[in-house]
Amino acid sequence: MNAATPSPDALRAAIAGLPTTHHEDWKYTDLSFITDIGNQWLDQGASVRSVGELPDAAKKIQKKIDADWLIIGNGVVDDESLAAIDQPGIAVTRIDPANDEQAIDSPLADLNTALLPDRLLIHVSVDAKQARPIGLLIVDNADSATSMSAARVKIELDAGSHTSIIEFHTSSGDEDHYANSIVSVKLGDHSSIDYVRIQDRDRRHCQTGHLAVSMGRDSRFDHCVFDLGGHLIRNDVHIDIAKPGASASFNGIYLAGNAQHIDNHTRVDHRVGPADSRQEYRGILSGNARCVWNGKAVVHVGADGTDAEQANHNLLLSEKAEINAKPELEIYAEDVKCSHGTTIGQLDEAALFYLQTRGLSRQQAKEILTRAFAQAIVSKSPIASMREALAEMISTKLTDIVEGAPE
Amino acid sequence: MLEIKNLKVVIGDTEILRGLSLSVNAGEVHAIMGPNGSGKSTLALVIAGHTDYKVSGGTVRYKGQNLLDLEPEERAREGIFLGFQYPVEIPGVNNAYLLKAAVNAKRKYQGLDEIDAFEFLKLAKEKMALLDMDTKFLNRGVNEGFSGGEKKRNEILQMAMLEPSLAILDETDSGLDIDALRAVAKGINALRSPDRAIILVTHYQRLLDYITPDYVHVLSEGRIVRSGDESLALQLEEKGYDWIREAASA
Amino acid sequence: MATESENIENFVNRRYEHGFVTDIPTDTFPPGLDEDVVRAISARKNEPEFMLKWRLRAYRQWLEMTEPTWAHVHYEPIDFNSISYYAAPKSDADKPQSLDEIDPKLLETYEKLGIPLHERARLAGVAVDAVFDSVSVATTFKEKLSEVGVIFCPFSEAVRDHPELVKKYLGSVVPQRDNFYAALNSAVFSDGSFVYIPKGVRCPMELSTYFRINAANTGQFERTLIIADEGSYVSYLEGCTAPMRDENQLHAAVVELVALKDAQIKYSTVQNWYPGDENGVGGIFNFVTKRGDCRGANSKISWTQVETGSAITWKYPSCILRGDNSVGEFYSVAVTNNYQQADTGTKMIHIGRNTSSTIVSKGISAGHAQNAYRGMVRVMPQAHGARNHTQCDSLLIGKNCGAHTFPYMEIKNPSARIEHEATTSKISADQLFYCRQRGISEEDAVNMIVNGFCKEVFKELPMEFAVEAQALLNVSLEGAIG
Repeated sequence: MNAATPSPDALRAAIAGLPTTHHEDWKYTDLSFITDIGNQWLDQGASVRSVGELPDAAKKIQKKIDADWLIIGNGVVDDESLAAIDQPGIAVTRIDPANDEQAIDSPLADLNTALLPDRLLIHVSVDAKQARPIGLLIVDNADSATSMSAARVKIELDAGSHTSIIEFHTSSGDEDHYANSIVSVKLGDHSSIDYVRIQDRDRRHCQTGHLAVSMGRDSRFDHCVFDLGGHLIRNDVHIDIAKPGASASFNGIYLAGNAQHIDNHTRVDHRVGPADSRQEYRGILSGNARCVWNGKAVVHVGADGTDAEQANHNLLLSEKAEINAKPELEIYAEDVKCSHGTTIGQLDEAALFYLQTRGLSRQQAKEILTRAFAQAIVSKSPIASMREALAEMISTKLTDIVEGAPE
Repeated sequence: MLEIKNLKVVIGDTEILRGLSLSVNAGEVHAIMGPNGSGKSTLALVIAGHTDYKVSGGTVRYKGQNLLDLEPEERAREGIFLGFQYPVEIPGVNNAYLLKAAVNAKRKYQGLDEIDAFEFLKLAKEKMALLDMDTKFLNRGVNEGFSGGEKKRNEILQMAMLEPSLAILDETDSGLDIDALRAVAKGINALRSPDRAIILVTHYQRLLDYITPDYVHVLSEGRIVRSGDESLALQLEEKGYDWIREAASA
Repeated sequence: MATESENIENFVNRRYEHGFVTDIPTDTFPPGLDEDVVRAISARKNEPEFMLKWRLRAYRQWLEMTEPTWAHVHYEPIDFNSISYYAAPKSDADKPQSLDEIDPKLLETYEKLGIPLHERARLAGVAVDAVFDSVSVATTFKEKLSEVGVIFCPFSEAVRDHPELVKKYLGSVVPQRDNFYAALNSAVFSDGSFVYIPKGVRCPMELSTYFRINAANTGQFERTLIIADEGSYVSYLEGCTAPMRDENQLHAAVVELVALKDAQIKYSTVQNWYPGDENGVGGIFNFVTKRGDCRGANSKISWTQVETGSAITWKYPSCILRGDNSVGEFYSVAVTNNYQQADTGTKMIHIGRNTSSTIVSKGISAGHAQNAYRGMVRVMPQAHGARNHTQCDSLLIGKNCGAHTFPYMEIKNPSARIEHEATTSKISADQLFYCRQRGISEEDAVNMIVNGFCKEVFKELPMEFAVEAQALLNVSLEGAIG
């Protein structure tokens, strides 16, 4: 099935409404490239081509990570893989746009709507049984022309249910490409979700993603993101805690090499207590990479019993790399415990020397310690079965960016 | 001095003390023992006036007046001292400063003049010598970076400086090695006097090797189920708390 | 003038201690701002041509700028034309040569403020440049300082007597266009302090200045410039008080510090501007630009501040770490109660090699107040070996206040080591109960704990300020508990 071609007027209007670098939240990330890609694509008719055969990278992932993979190619849900999903208690269906409201109110969500993606609903009921996680394989291809695509997923968990979801983004093709993804997760009371997202797009391609989570009473949200590829990537994660007993753990790692710009903005709203949120993001930058990390925790009036922690740690491996970090706390309630810690630095000299005295070269020592730095996040990732694959992916990426990193 | 009749105490929805009665006179040392969760610390905190605990029944009279009407600091100024089981740290606040403020608060309450710096230091040094404590304790932050033993000794130092009428020492011996235990016990013994009542809340018998109590009470499931003299403590040591429970439910 | 009994009543009710007005006739401009007002200010002060030109350039730039709105504070828009930009006591005609020549009413005012120019200043060896309603009245100890070549005088005097120094350094740390309030200040500044410490001189005494706003609707536009030449050292104290008024009063000062090679400047502030009453009415708006330029290698600039006053505070004392091995420090306690709002912090810009900065910020928020820390640590690409440690703690007292932290870290050099930690909590119930069980009232316990919380900052203050600061803290938190 091919996607509908977006209306040029609607698309142009949505692009015109995007934030600029004058907006505080977009200070470091310039979205003007979307206008360029949009115009080029519209000039060529803005058609959506099917992906065709899955690229090798995508096939490798299917083999490496044990999941029931649903393929979304260039924004279009693949019917065959959709039909193949057969997990008791979990219904994966398309949503008719006519019956769907836009859950997220933002210019990027408006853009997503204008791109007319296939809308997916994953509904988890209390008796759901998964032998393996559901994997969303989001594949984009820009071989023949500049293009844009969008993905839209809604995950709803009934009270008392649990699910594991993996999201993997990959792209290929020499032309420019922009992907827009919107995911919303609604956690019913006492429900929980393990959710891992890996982004490993072509180093010329761009993506913005918005994840909105609303947490029910005593629910648990366990999330980990891995940003390995892409040219300009912006992720927004919004977690809304409006019921007591909620517990959110969201972590991530961004590995950025030359010409990469990775921007992670997170926000957790604690509206009632007791509830806790724990966040740790780590970054490794080399070449002339530029990364942004902005973690905001807002504790609203009356959210007594909130316990919120944020941490951000960064390794800069080159002269030209740049990190802009801003952990923010806005606190309006009294009986709370909030803290954050941010570090930006290098590998510990004492540790490097120690490894050298054990016979390793300095370069080897650097690699080991850098891997250990990243491994801290892999260990936090839910879905234990995929940690090995994750470690391998990170290792490959690290070799790519650490190589030749100056002393 | 202290007259507790049928005291009932709840925290949140849980009833911890279920009709506890106890009578303590000046000059006496009472030991209160019991298994974990029996309500020993609760009793101590309630007498001190901790707001987390709600009295749901019974009376507590101290020196003839209703204790439950008084705020924690008023109870302190009336001569009640609580040696905490887990003394809290107050960074940046000098130990000497806190002590002096406490001494002066009590003096003011009694209509006396405030103690001057010279007098205070003299008094502090006297008491510290009595307790074998190093004077550099005075300049450290309250319990900041103190070891468990140091924290407990600091509690006894405060007791010595404040000269209470009723001292309740909550598990003063927990976490102490033999030397620290000896030093703490020595301090407590030195503070025994005919005008003073001391309640020792303890889980183990060994503190009572060093401080001979006049009375021993066993607290179980929110009530005092048995009272006796020091030999009761030895019996408990031998037979364990289950013996009491069985006897109580019999 | 407020009567003795009124003053006692104020004290008993424990309201703003320094809330009184001195009934001295003042030569005040009518409200409004235009080029003529700027010229008139310059003329009043007998300024040389270069100064007037500088002011006019700033004024014209200010006209093109807009008020910033990004701070986490809310206030009624300011009508810049309803403010009078100059007020001076009439007895300014002939500059007094000694304290004996000063209007006794003024001296009485200073005594009430706790800065008797007579004995206390002499005994303590503190030179006081008391700025009263935009004009400096007396400068003592000029002779002692001039023995070692230290210049410490009103800014207006420096413009006339040391124009070459003023020309060289004025606006070199805070350019006119830097921000809206700096531009305004550059146009209409009335007076302030000028300090120059010659090469190798360690200034023999703490220098201090007291401020006071008197006439209603008179903005305070103080301008201070401190230059520490190579190898010199100076410690400067700034403490402010202001009387009680119902209309908001604008305070937009600019402070520029220049430390050359191997020089050190220590700038301490205890700020107690009228914070507004329990209902948020009145109070000073404190919009200040303070910046230090560590221009020379091995130079050091430390900012220490205790801010308990003002209805609205907007200030970011900053350091530009230009010289290799230069050091910037920022120690701050900011207290907000009732309806006060503060958006304050610091900027540390690392440019030279092996520079380091330390930030310790303690915020205390009570009542219905909002207290925000906004900090920036920027390490430029050429700033090899930069080090920063930031500790930013907030204490919340009560259910209706807010404490916020917005630290920006922009790091463009891989050899930087940056550590930022922040915590927000309330006063622990365990600590409170412990103190109460020792007989200390809840209010005293809170004061004790809060003072302990701020200890790390207080110990950076010169001693006499440290004592005043602790007392100020206690007074500021009245009514916050219970």
